Amino acid sequence: MPQFSFKPMTRAVALGVSAVLVVAACSGGTTSSAEPSQAAPTSTSPGASAPAASSSTGEIGGELVVWTAWGGGELTAFQNVLKPFEDETGIDVRLTTVRDITQLTINVEAGTSLPDVAFPPPPDKLVEYAQSGVIKPLEGFLDMAAYTKDTYPALLEIGVVDAQHYQLFVKTQVKGLFWYNAKVFTGPAPKTWDELLSISPPAGAKLFCVGLESGADSGWPATDMIENIVMRQAGAEVYAKWIDGTQKWSSPEIKAAFETYGQMVSEANVFGGPNTVLTTNFGRAGKPLFADPPGCLFLEQATFITSFFVEDYPDLKSVDDIDFFAHPDIDPAHAGNVEGFADSFVMYNDTPQAKALMSYLATADAQSLFVAGGGTLAANSTVQNFPDPVFKKAADIAAGAKNLLVDAADFFPADMRTGFYKGILDFTKDQSKLDSILSNLDQVQAASYGE
Amino acid sequence: MDPRIVTAVGAVVGIPLVLAGYILLSERLLEALPARLRSRMRPYVWVLPAVGFSTVFMVLPTLNTIVLSFMDKRSENFVGLNNYVYFFTSPATLGALKNSLLWLVFFTGFVVIGGLVIAVLVDRVRYESFAKAVVFLPIPISAVAASIIWRFMYDFQPPGEVQTGTLNAVIGTFGFDPVAWLVESTTNNPALIFVGIWTATGFAMVIISASLKAVSSELLEAARLDGANELQVLRLVITPLLLPTITVVATTVVITALKVFDIVYVLTAGAFDTDVIASQMFSQLAGSGHFGRAAAVGVVLLLAVIPLLWINVRRFRQQEEMR
Repeated sequence: MPQFSFKPMTRAVALGVSAVLVVAACSGGTTSSAEPSQAAPTSTSPGASAPAASSSTGEIGGELVVWTAWGGGELTAFQNVLKPFEDETGIDVRLTTVRDITQLTINVEAGTSLPDVAFPPPPDKLVEYAQSGVIKPLEGFLDMAAYTKDTYPALLEIGVVDAQHYQLFVKTQVKGLFWYNAKVFTGPAPKTWDELLSISPPAGAKLFCVGLESGADSGWPATDMIENIVMRQAGAEVYAKWIDGTQKWSSPEIKAAFETYGQMVSEANVFGGPNTVLTTNFGRAGKPLFADPPGCLFLEQATFITSFFVEDYPDLKSVDDIDFFAHPDIDPAHAGNVEGFADSFVMYNDTPQAKALMSYLATADAQSLFVAGGGTLAANSTVQNFPDPVFKKAADIAAGAKNLLVDAADFFPADMRTGFYKGILDFTKDQSKLDSILSNLDQVQAASYGE
Repeated sequence: MDPRIVTAVGAVVGIPLVLAGYILLSERLLEALPARLRSRMRPYVWVLPAVGFSTVFMVLPTLNTIVLSFMDKRSENFVGLNNYVYFFTSPATLGALKNSLLWLVFFTGFVVIGGLVIAVLVDRVRYESFAKAVVFLPIPISAVAASIIWRFMYDFQPPGEVQTGTLNAVIGTFGFDPVAWLVESTTNNPALIFVGIWTATGFAMVIISASLKAVSSELLEAARLDGANELQVLRLVITPLLLPTITVVATTVVITALKVFDIVYVLTAGAFDTDVIASQMFSQLAGSGHFGRAAAVGVVLLLAVIPLLWINVRRFRQQEEMR
């Protein structure tokens, strides 16, 4: 084993420092990836469940160990979801927040206890774990016909090994939405990238607002912007190769994506010019949308951004004031690729209690409790009880998606991700340096994969 | 009861008990020795816990870091000097090294000279304590808090908007366009170093001022009677007398310059070529998870500090001998 002697201390430092800086970032609600600088994992009680008192429905009893990466409001929502389940079945759910998802792989490799139900293993381990039986398929206990009928089709493509589903999706969100002030922009939503760029903003305003500042993670909002371009300009295959590290950064596809992004942050198109982009915090980036007179027309961001709008302007109403349209297509051949993230559960021990919980989480009743917590879509497309009506449109985008593609940067090796952030900042500052930035990223790619 | 409370109580009560028990027990054992041997052994017995603690918490980690610096990312295989080769060839670390040199020269220079000048000047005015208090004020502010304060000072809004950053508001009243202080490569490193100077000058001033008070007024009077002007008094009498103090202050400030991390991390996180070696160490460790490279940075930092420690220790010995 490696010497981890000073790791916990550094993490605590990271946590302390970044807590001051990026409190706002955490409240956004991204979930599917492990936060690199979060607290060390908490250990749990042994994973073995007590034997079932009864295998019939209704009162089951016993206990169940569940791991989640959620904290804050998301955790509260999940606790609300679990409560009716515990009341009805008498199962004692031992819920632990495990921020560092690699804890799971560590436990699998060490052969120590696993939770009964938890977040999925990292994508590169999924096939291996499915084939070796570490994770259990949904087929065999879940009503698959009902699950596949109601769940967004794009989600059903994820987590499939040998034609069996392993990930039970409960929540999803879409990224790459173009937010606008409905009182200012009243035209039809542009269908193509060229249409978007040809919209003329009111006098004195620019087309886009962008804010990339986010402490040590500065640059991340633009990773989403570039990813949304890659998947629509070059397609899902290039996107997958890019995640795998087999698509070079200096290749024409990725270079074109940077150049397209460059149009959005050019002196001519972005509010305040590149220096404003680099010094504006992502949460405050949308402020000029609602200023009088407006500073810009559009801000590209995921659904969580509305809470920041309302912080700056408490009187704003969803749909009436705050609205969005989907990311326009770039190459029609790749229409239907949508960036999003989705939360799922995977079963590690197929006890009756675990099966009962998984079956319950698949129901519309359970997922509507997630949705009632706000800020998310359910995985079940029939669940529509959104506290914020603007989510109804996001649900339409999710329903229309052919491929729901994950955030590529989340799956890059750490060096690649930080290199991507830095490359974005440098490119935004001086677009003429693109070639040297990309060749530098090629080097990082060559060095960081498979290390 | 919460097991953490038990642990905490155990630590607070238990550790002093163990130490007290150690002293009593060792005294008991020493009693059994012949008198001469007893007085010779006692210092060693007493110093043993301190040596033990510093071995466990300082010496062993240092040795471990040195070992790790020759190992790969996950500390599994021996890779020879690879991490050091990386440190002295990669553009990222070379840039950080260059910036650390900037810090070393300008931060140390301004803090020490600034501290000296302020100490000498305020020595001659009636509102000395007030002036010193003002300069000393940033010291109790933690570096992270100070950096956040300066984030507001350096804040940038697009030209034409209301400037919320103090600096840009000030230059705006003179009709200049706002400057993105932390982004522009001509201003960002000076802006960071200035925050450091702001937080550290008070420290240098207080120490130098204290030593200035020890310079006997008869000596200064004698110099003046002999016809020296004030600058000559400062240069030929005061400065040489202050030199030991200045050396101590300078070495401390140099070490601060080399290990500066929080200011850079909070204000720019190393973006736009403002990285320094300590922030490189952090990003190698927390960002990339590369234990070997992070340890190599740590070892280089340690080697850079050793000559300064040596100077400090030597000076300390000389002073002890003079007593």
